[in-house]
Amino acid sequence: MNIAVLVKQVPDTNEIKLDPKTGTLIREGVESIMNPDDRLGLETALMLKDAHGAKVTVISMGPPQAIDVITEAMAMGADGGVLLSDRNFAGADTWATSYTLGKALEKLLAETRLDLVIAGRQAIDGDTAQIGPQVAEHLGWPQVTYVSELKLEDGSLRAWRKLPGGVEEVVCPLPAVVTVLDAPQDPRWAMVDRLLWACGPKSPIRVWDAADIEAPAKSTGLRGSLTQVMQTFSPKSERKTDWIEGTAEEQARHLVNALSQRNLI
Amino acid sequence: MSKPALRSDPEKLLRQIISRFVAQEITPLARDMDESGKIPKELMRKIAQMRLFGMRYPVKGGGCGGNSTLYCIMSEELARGLLSLAAKVSKQCLMGTEHLYRFGSKEMHEKYFAPAMRGEKIGSFCLTEPEAGGDLGAVATTATKDGDEWVISGMKTWITNAPIADFFTVLCQTDRSKGVRGLNFFFVPRDTPGVRISPRFETLGTRTTDIAEVAFNDCRIPGEYILGEVGKGLKSLLSILADIRSMTAALALGLAKAAYETAFQYAKERQAFGKTINKYQLIQSKIANMATDIWAAELMLYETTRKIDAGLPAGKESMMVKYFATETACRCCDEATRIMGAYAYSMEYPAQRYFRDARFLLYGGGTHEVLQQNIARELKF
Repeated sequence: MNIAVLVKQVPDTNEIKLDPKTGTLIREGVESIMNPDDRLGLETALMLKDAHGAKVTVISMGPPQAIDVITEAMAMGADGGVLLSDRNFAGADTWATSYTLGKALEKLLAETRLDLVIAGRQAIDGDTAQIGPQVAEHLGWPQVTYVSELKLEDGSLRAWRKLPGGVEEVVCPLPAVVTVLDAPQDPRWAMVDRLLWACGPKSPIRVWDAADIEAPAKSTGLRGSLTQVMQTFSPKSERKTDWIEGTAEEQARHLVNALSQRNLI
Repeated sequence: MSKPALRSDPEKLLRQIISRFVAQEITPLARDMDESGKIPKELMRKIAQMRLFGMRYPVKGGGCGGNSTLYCIMSEELARGLLSLAAKVSKQCLMGTEHLYRFGSKEMHEKYFAPAMRGEKIGSFCLTEPEAGGDLGAVATTATKDGDEWVISGMKTWITNAPIADFFTVLCQTDRSKGVRGLNFFFVPRDTPGVRISPRFETLGTRTTDIAEVAFNDCRIPGEYILGEVGKGLKSLLSILADIRSMTAALALGLAKAAYETAFQYAKERQAFGKTINKYQLIQSKIANMATDIWAAELMLYETTRKIDAGLPAGKESMMVKYFATETACRCCDEATRIMGAYAYSMEYPAQRYFRDARFLLYGGGTHEVLQQNIARELKF
């Protein structure tokens, strides 16, 4: 079985700070990490590898320093890694990003059979949750999103989707694209022997540019993006107090309703 | 035309990963571990799974293929979370297993070294005696050849990991007439008849560190359990002394950084007389001095480890950095308690733990009184 896992390097913060003039992220002083949902996706793939035996390849698109998330993924147990790095890829929206990832997956498919693509539900810097589904559309594969557990059956997968109202169990034929938001166990830590191997000359990490994946400049990066960011800003947080009155039971009911309306429970 | 291979910087990435491990897995449990004196087995299992115990050993020998610099980065980062845990892991990587790795037979490797790399067996290094610490010429534990066996007799004290150890690397005198040239290391499994371990010592700090006395009462071990050539014990000890001292400096540096960061954050939040105390010059002076000393210790440490990694002599440098980094740790932990005032005196905050733990570093790898004397000697003074 061959599994590809899509990972993204993101700033290690949930409180993104933006440059008010350029609208871009302020990255100074902020460490870059593997996107938490992608880490869960990788753990899901590695659990399948442990259980069934599989070759796991991680793919990331980003600047040269994004090599670190590939290296860490290899240290956690991935067998191969591909960094998609090219100046033409810069400034991509989700459409252009998923196109580029799709082209890389097509190149991988030309080399080997691919049974499953796993991605995190969403990245903490963009929160779009669009990449996985768009990659599935690009490949023409079925997709299962918001997965918290995954099992392989004969030629298909059984997935448990964590939805606001409960858990949905679905069966889907392979090959497929899955996005995950949880895993049955915490992501494993990197192993130092593998880390040093992945940093060394014998590391099987590959770097592909636009020419390698035959992606024309007009389809990638800013030029290939269907959306343009007009303005980015940090939302102002406001405090508003609701006074709840009545009996304890009424207050509890009111509180549950209020939290539910705000999608907090 | 082939593109140049793009690779991650192992030092930077290792530091990031261990730092994250400490933040997620060690720091939240540090107070409980310090108070109970126990490290959860699950935490040690994770450390073993990360293969940290094999940090210094070649891949072919069952290790990770790291070097002194990477090893010290690991020790430093772990010490930011809990010094005693960092010391436990660091000692297993070096003194607990080094002689076994270098001189043990294939069978000893399979039975002891490989499980030690997996964290399944613990090694302990027995050097200090009631009457012999830095003065190796005074080592009184003897190893006497009797047919195909060695007979070990004597008493070792302040032995880290002794209560939990599965095997000991023991410095013994094989020929008293030769002084330090009669010293040798021996491998003694814990279950050897005649091995007695005292109750665990109660200590001021590093409370998860298991320390005890070990008595060897006519312990008979196979002839092959001598670790190294006869009479070469001092040489093999000297060959890892720079590593031991650099590692101790790394532990000190990590602890100093933890104390500094705690005090730094506190000073930015604590209000006094209408403003946060970081606005006061006396507090600024303390922070500036701490940061300066930490930077100097860091530069000294990694300059020393790079020399070790290059195979260059680093005896003097390792003594200097062990001395300086430990004094830095003691100063920073002291200053942190002053910046934090009464809160540092409370068991609820980690500053008191840093203050207590720092004292542990003054003794391992040579007392500072002995080190200063040896540094002066190295300077041909």
